[in-house]
Amino acid sequence: MKQEKDKTDLHSSLEFLSREKYYADHIFNNSRSMISVIDRDYVYVKVNTTFCKAHRGMADSIIGKSLSDVWGKETFSNSIKHNIDRCFGGATVKYEASFMTPQAGKRFFEVIFRPFPSDAGKITHLLAETFDITDLKLTEKIAIEKEEEFKKFETNLPIGFLRCRPDGRIIHGNKAFLVIMDCRSESSLYSTNLRDYYAEKEIFDMHVEELADSKPKSFGRVPLKTCKGKEIVCRISGFMALDESGNPSYFDFAFEDSSRELMLENRLLEAQKLETIGSLAGGIAHDFNNILATISGYSELLIEDLPGHSPLSEKVSKIQIAVNKARSLTNQILTFSRQVEQEKVPVSVYEVLRETIGFVKSAAPPSITIRSNYRDKQKFVFADPTQLFRVFLNLLTNAIQALEDKKGTITVTLAIEEGKKVRGDLNKVIVADEYILVTFRDTGRGMDQSLLRRIFEPFFTTREVGTGSGLGLSVVHGIVSEMDGSVLVSSEKGEGSVFYIYLPVYFDKARKPALHGRKKKLLFVTGNRHESRILSLGLESAGFEMTQSSEIKHFNKILAEPKTRPDIVIYMSEAEQIRIDDLISSFQKCGITPPCIIICDSNQDNSGEKLVNSGIISQQLVKPVSLKEIETAIQLSIKR
Amino acid sequence: MPGILIVEDNRELREMLKESLIRKRFTVQEAENGKDAIIHFKPGVTDLVVTDLIMPEEDGLKVIMTLREIKPSIKVIAISGGGKAGPASYLNMAKALGADAIYYKPFSVNEMIGKIEELLKIEQPL
Repeated sequence: MKQEKDKTDLHSSLEFLSREKYYADHIFNNSRSMISVIDRDYVYVKVNTTFCKAHRGMADSIIGKSLSDVWGKETFSNSIKHNIDRCFGGATVKYEASFMTPQAGKRFFEVIFRPFPSDAGKITHLLAETFDITDLKLTEKIAIEKEEEFKKFETNLPIGFLRCRPDGRIIHGNKAFLVIMDCRSESSLYSTNLRDYYAEKEIFDMHVEELADSKPKSFGRVPLKTCKGKEIVCRISGFMALDESGNPSYFDFAFEDSSRELMLENRLLEAQKLETIGSLAGGIAHDFNNILATISGYSELLIEDLPGHSPLSEKVSKIQIAVNKARSLTNQILTFSRQVEQEKVPVSVYEVLRETIGFVKSAAPPSITIRSNYRDKQKFVFADPTQLFRVFLNLLTNAIQALEDKKGTITVTLAIEEGKKVRGDLNKVIVADEYILVTFRDTGRGMDQSLLRRIFEPFFTTREVGTGSGLGLSVVHGIVSEMDGSVLVSSEKGEGSVFYIYLPVYFDKARKPALHGRKKKLLFVTGNRHESRILSLGLESAGFEMTQSSEIKHFNKILAEPKTRPDIVIYMSEAEQIRIDDLISSFQKCGITPPCIIICDSNQDNSGEKLVNSGIISQQLVKPVSLKEIETAIQLSIKR
Repeated sequence: MPGILIVEDNRELREMLKESLIRKRFTVQEAENGKDAIIHFKPGVTDLVVTDLIMPEEDGLKVIMTLREIKPSIKVIAISGGGKAGPASYLNMAKALGADAIYYKPFSVNEMIGKIEELLKIEQPL
């Protein structure tokens, strides 16, 4: 059997050998490569069918031609000849080149020159094989382009992409991931584990578990910690890839920083909460004012009913003082809930701020430094200056109270911000092209997040019960909101606090409108230069001609001179140099009785009460007073 | 004596005002809300109306507008304890509607009576 098989094999082999030349020719001609044999004179001695097809010619028209004839002199000497020479030196030469082909334009080729030795071992010819690798090249190019496109996408999008091993060790992170996580460089990333970036490590373990079914998942907002230890919140999606044997190979994660989104959401929530508290408190204050009006009215009737010098009169006026105090409180609540009447005028924030700082500086202990930096002095806002004064006063007072051991620095800055930028910062509809940004920065004890969330709520106070009304910051919030402005605060425990007040710019000083008619002359009698200057700024804007006096001689001089004689006098009860009795005797001396309004502190004994009743003083107001109240009082007094 | 209409939903305050005005010998009518005030308004009797602004049923602004239509010469004093309708406050709107005087609660009743006498004297020369 075996012999028979050998016989068959031998027969086949012989047959094969006899047909060898046929096969060789067949392979030579039908190869998809261009194959040629070249002699030492750089002349084609044999070419295959593919070669002929590519050159659109018959074999006879090519054989016998030199390479220089076929490819052109330049191409031959520049890129072919030296390779052929190397091959004749005995080396197999392989290189890539692109040629223009008559059939298909520019194509890419891989060229191999193999030495073709004669029987004697001498290299007389070489075999040139040229493969068309254009399609391969094209595929490669597309792949590179695709990769570059993806890289761009991965680099440009603000979404952090991260690949890590199943145990969390990081393999790759894109630029956005580095930015989100405050990382210095990509290399610094490789030594870290994704788990370490999670604020709560258990959440990472949970994510890994969730992804075990290798389906992509989104996890919503997750608290993370950056390289610098900053707390951020990211939306995370992930996917687990398996290897060929079905084991976890790696995880891909996408991180979208939503800290800002969360912050804006919280801010909106806070604003809504304050709005609700505001309308609630406003409603209560409104009802309270009704009750106070009844009490105040009946006590007035009671005074009328009492005989001239009844010892009970004093008790009734104490009721009236209490009513005034309560009124000042309801007024503050209404201010917070933006339900208070304000007479707004164009007012220079710079002036009011400067006055307020001057006022606070004179009262603050010397261990406290108050710095101010005014980057603008020209812009006006539309506001009640006395209310603006309260805003600044409240913030400065709070800053001072935040300083420990009454030591530290408060920095106040006034700058102009573009409306567009403000819209971005506050995420609210802007009402002006420009905003004034007043910043109050202190080096005090700072506040933690839970405290920060509540500071604008009315009646919220960190001071001992009974020492503060807890209305200060809620009043600030109310006044600023009423002006279409915003209050922001940032603070960290032990790091001090910063309050940002944004106020829409009304106009520039250059555009201040002129006032018409003769201005009424108004004389301010005061011991407190700064506070009354705030009022005088407002009244000046409202069209009065203002003079101030804090000293009796000066006051008498103004009264005596017809040119300066006031149409109305406003007396601030804290004026120390001029007592109310002096005021009255001066009036009597000059023989004039201009309408006189007295403004007293709510916690003071009402010195003006009797004078009002006796008709010498036309009106009495209790602090805090708004410009509107003073104006109304002036109008009423002048009419009388 | 001139007739005064008090429109105020708070009973105690209304009674206080009533007593104060009766003392000064004014003829006083009262209404506890805007609707009542409009329904029971007697143009021949009432020379001046003291009205609250925020009230159930019809509010004070409606009272001012309606009464002014019926009797254009009527004098109006608006009183309010705060509260706002949109960006413009009630008292400012009352002023715009032609209230002759406005008072924030709590106010001095004597001062208001002074104002009432002033307003009515001008209209009624003896």
